[in-house]
Amino acid sequence: MPAAANDPRLEALRTAPLNSWVALSEDETKIVAVGATYDEVVKNSEMAGASDPILIKTPKDWASFSL
Amino acid sequence: MSLTVPYKKFPDPSGAGGFAYYAAIPVNIALPASNSPRSKRFEAIIDSGASNCIFHADIGRAIGLDIAKGAPLRTLGVAGPTSVYAHDISLHAPGGIIAVRAGFSADLPIAGLLGMKGFFDHFKISFDATALACTLERIYRT
Repeated sequence: MPAAANDPRLEALRTAPLNSWVALSEDETKIVAVGATYDEVVKNSEMAGASDPILIKTPKDWASFSL
Repeated sequence: MSLTVPYKKFPDPSGAGGFAYYAAIPVNIALPASNSPRSKRFEAIIDSGASNCIFHADIGRAIGLDIAKGAPLRTLGVAGPTSVYAHDISLHAPGGIIAVRAGFSADLPIAGLLGMKGFFDHFKISFDATALACTLERIYRT
């Protein structure tokens, strides 16, 4: 498996608040906005000038997904 | 049309290197009526273990759904049974729009799951653990 080094997306997610919504930049290298809800992160990403972010919902804890 | 998507890394303290790979793609959803405004792009995990497509209730509300007015649907996960509400939506996925009856839940820990009904039945999907990528080939039925 490749190392996690130099993976800005992974590092961004590691620093993202848990149980929240985050907006990643189009190139997925950085978080441009966060919010407690989908509506809040959309509003915050628009205020940040992000035209086409990718939204991700973070879980309460990062762990293996078995949904 | 086929699309190869690299696996995405997500934090996972129990995984080697502190992360795990998942096949995930950005999608939008909208109400079924043509020209309905789409949600923002959000990342959904391609999950062959999910019977249905399930999305977080926040996204459903944002596109105009009254979540609790959907048809109750019982689902069974590792954590046990849970209830979601089913609604007809349009899924904007690679290759175009798919009409999907999807579940919505406020308890979903992530934004969305792309499951067997509504997603896998519209694609040939291969997972390549050596290339760390997933290839989607859209199936168009006449």
